Amino acid sequence: MSTAQAPTPVDDDLDITHVQLLYRVYALFYNKTFGLFLIFATTVLSLLGVLIMQAPKEVRGDPDMYASWLTSVRPKYKGLTSLLDATGMFTMFSSWPFRIVIVLLVLSIIACTVHRLPLLWRNAQHPHLDVRESLFDRARVHRTIEVPGTPVQARETAKAKLAEEGYRLVETSDDTHGVNLYADKFRWFPFGTVLAHLAFCLILLGALITANFGFDDDYFPVPVGTDAVEVGHGTNLSIKANSFTDSYNNDGRPMDYAADVTLYKGGEEVATHVIRVNDPLKYDGVSFNQASFGFALQMLVKDAQGKTLYSGAIPLEYQSADQKKVFGSVELPGQDLTMYAVSNASGVEDEELPAGNVLVQFFGPDKASAAVASEVLSQGQETPVGNYQVTFVRERQFTALMVSKDYGAPYVWAGSILLVLGTICTMFLRHKRIWLRFHPSSGGTQLRLASPDRHDVSYTRSLDAMLTSLNPTATTTDTTKTGDTNHG
Amino acid sequence: MADLAYYCLWAAVALTAAALLGNLVLLTGRRTAAERKPHSNDASGAVVGDERVVAKVGSVAWVATLLIRLATIVMTASLVFRIIAVGHAPFSNQHEFACAFFWGILLAYVFFEWRYRIRMLAIGALPLAFIAGIYAAAGTDHSVDSLLPALQNHLLLTAHVITAVLGYGAAAVSCAAAFLYLIAPKVRWRGMPAQDLLDEIGYKGIVFAFPLLTIMLVLGALWADIAWGKYWSWDPKETAALVTWLIYGAYLHARVTHGWQGNRSAWLLMLGFVAIVFTFTGNYWFGGLHTYGGQ
Repeated sequence: MSTAQAPTPVDDDLDITHVQLLYRVYALFYNKTFGLFLIFATTVLSLLGVLIMQAPKEVRGDPDMYASWLTSVRPKYKGLTSLLDATGMFTMFSSWPFRIVIVLLVLSIIACTVHRLPLLWRNAQHPHLDVRESLFDRARVHRTIEVPGTPVQARETAKAKLAEEGYRLVETSDDTHGVNLYADKFRWFPFGTVLAHLAFCLILLGALITANFGFDDDYFPVPVGTDAVEVGHGTNLSIKANSFTDSYNNDGRPMDYAADVTLYKGGEEVATHVIRVNDPLKYDGVSFNQASFGFALQMLVKDAQGKTLYSGAIPLEYQSADQKKVFGSVELPGQDLTMYAVSNASGVEDEELPAGNVLVQFFGPDKASAAVASEVLSQGQETPVGNYQVTFVRERQFTALMVSKDYGAPYVWAGSILLVLGTICTMFLRHKRIWLRFHPSSGGTQLRLASPDRHDVSYTRSLDAMLTSLNPTATTTDTTKTGDTNHG
Repeated sequence: MADLAYYCLWAAVALTAAALLGNLVLLTGRRTAAERKPHSNDASGAVVGDERVVAKVGSVAWVATLLIRLATIVMTASLVFRIIAVGHAPFSNQHEFACAFFWGILLAYVFFEWRYRIRMLAIGALPLAFIAGIYAAAGTDHSVDSLLPALQNHLLLTAHVITAVLGYGAAAVSCAAAFLYLIAPKVRWRGMPAQDLLDEIGYKGIVFAFPLLTIMLVLGALWADIAWGKYWSWDPKETAALVTWLIYGAYLHARVTHGWQGNRSAWLLMLGFVAIVFTFTGNYWFGGLHTYGGQ
C-alpha cells in the first residue's frame, strides 16, 4: 500500500514571472538565428509548393473533385500521396504549415525591427563620441598619419575636407583623449531596413485582405451577342459582350484576343471597352480581364405551360475524359434540375450526335445518378425533353473573363514601393562613420582614423584619398580588418 | 538582321571562350614564392585586387581583358540587332532570355573586374557566361516570333526582364566569388585574391542583385495584375523567383548572424544562383502562366 506524498515543490529559482515569460518570447522572435530559420522555412515550403503539383483552385472547394484529382496524381506520388495530402502539400500556399511559418515570420520581423530601432536611433542621433584609444588599433579600417600643424589646426583641415564630402561633423575635446572629431554620412538611411521589413509585412497584410475580402472569379463566361450577364457579388453590375475577335499569324501563333464589351450598373450603361490581355476594363474597383474564349450553345427552355424557364447561351467549357465531347451546364431556375448541353469536340464525328445537333440531358440533384431525361436536338426545332420544351437556337462564341474586386492590392502596391525604397536605402546608402583623433607629435600632429563599418573597397579608398590630401608626403600605417558590423 | 544578331551571339561566345582560356592559363598555375604574399592591400592600405588586371599592352592578361570586353560589346550589338529584327525588347522567348542572361553575366563580370581589379573572378564567372552563351546559341530556337498577347506590354516586358537579367548577372558574379572563396584555402593558384576580398565581392554582387530582383518581382506582380487580373497566382515560375529572392534575403541576414558568416554565407550565394538557374530554365518543367517562355 502506497502512502500519499506531498507534491514536489516548484523550484523557486526556475519560476519566472509573466513579464519575464513575455520577454523570453520577444527575445526568441528578435533572435537573428530564429529569424533566419523562419526565412529558410518559408523558402523550403515555397520550393515544395513549386516542386509538388498543386491542386487547381476549382478543385479545392469540392470534396468529390478533389478526391478525383487526388486519384489522378496517385500514380505519380504513389505511397506518398496520402502523406502529402494530410500535410497540405497539395494546397501548400493555403496550408497550415505555410500559414504558421508566415505568421511567425511576420512576428519575427516586427520583433527584430522594434528591437533594432533604439540602436538605429542612437547611431543616427547620439553617436558614441567618447571612444577608447583601442578603437584606433582595432577598428575594421584604421589609419595613422602625420599631418602638419597643431591638433586643433589639423582638425579644422580635416573638417573642411569631410564637409566637402557631405559628412556631418561633431567635435569633442577632453583632457583624456585630446582633440577628437566624429563624422558621419547617410545617418538616416539605415532606417531603410525598417522600411523594407515593415513593407514586407504590409504586403503580407495586403495579401491577407485580398484573400478574405472582395471576390475573384477566375472564369466568368459571357456569350457574345446575348443579353448582359449579371456579375453578382453585390456589385449591381452586368456585362454584355458585343463581339469577340481572336486573330492569328500565318503560322497559327496567336496575335490578339479582343472582347468588345458594354458594362451596365443597375441597367444603365456605364462603360464600353475592348478588353485585351494587357488592357482590362476597370470600373468601380471591379476589374475585368480577358481569360479565354470558346463556343456556347444558345438554348431556350419552356415548361409544359409554355413559360420560358431559361433563355441564354451555355458555354461549352468542359471536355469529356476521352476528349471527344465538349459540354456545359445550367441550373434551371426553380426546377431543381441541371441541364447539360453536349456537342462534339472540334473535328470529331459521331453518328449518334450528327454535326449541327446537340445532346440535352436533365439531371436531378444527384448528378451521379442517371439522367432524368435525354434527347438529341436539331438546330431551330423545339423538342420535348422530359416535361420541358427545349430549343437549340444557334451556336455562339463566348469570351471568358476574370472578374475581381481586390481590396488588398493598394496595400500590396504601397508595400512594394516602400520595399524597393527601403532595400535601395539599405543596400546603396550605408551609414558611414568615422572617428578621428589628433595627438600632438614631434612633426606636428599624429592623426588617427577609425571606422568600424563593413569592409568596402571604395569606402576605404575614399578615406585614404582624404588622408592623402591632408598630407600628400606622409606615409600611412594602416590596417583593414575583415568582417561585418551590421546591416539590414 | 536576326541572322546578324545570331552571328554576333556566336562571336561573343567564341570571344568569351578565348578570354576564359587565356585567364585559365594565366591564373591557375601554382604561385611562386615571391607571389605568395597576400595582395589584399596596396602600399597605402587601400584594398585592391590582382595587379595583373592592369597588364602590359600585348600581354596575355591584356588580351584576355580585351577579349571579354569585346565579347560584351559584340553581345550588346547582338541584342541591338535582335531588337531591330523583332521590333521590341528581345525578352520574349527562351532564346532571347538566354541571350539577355549571357549579356547580363558579361556586363556584371566586366564591371566587377574593372571595379575590383580581380582577374581571378574570370575563373568563376566566365564558365557561367560561356554556358549561358552556348545554351542561347545552340540550345534554343532563334527564329523570330511575334509577341504573344500576354507579352504585349512593351514597357513592363522590358523593365521586368531587364531587371531580372541585370540582377542575374550580378548574382552570377557573386556565385563566382563564393566559389573562389570556398576553394581558396584548397588551391595555390597564382591569381587567387584574399578571402575577405572575395567575400566582399560576393556581397557587393548581391547589393546590386537584391534590389534588382526586388524590383523585378514588384514589376512582375504589377504586370500580372494587368494581364492576369491578380498580382500573385503562386504560378510555379513566379514562386521560384520568390524562392530565389528569399535565399538572397537569407544570405543578407546570415551575414549578420553568429555562426553563419564565411563558408555558410558563400554556400548560400551558390544556392541562390542554383535557384536562379532553376527559375530561368523552369519553363521546361513547370506548367503555369509563364510557359510561353519555353517555346
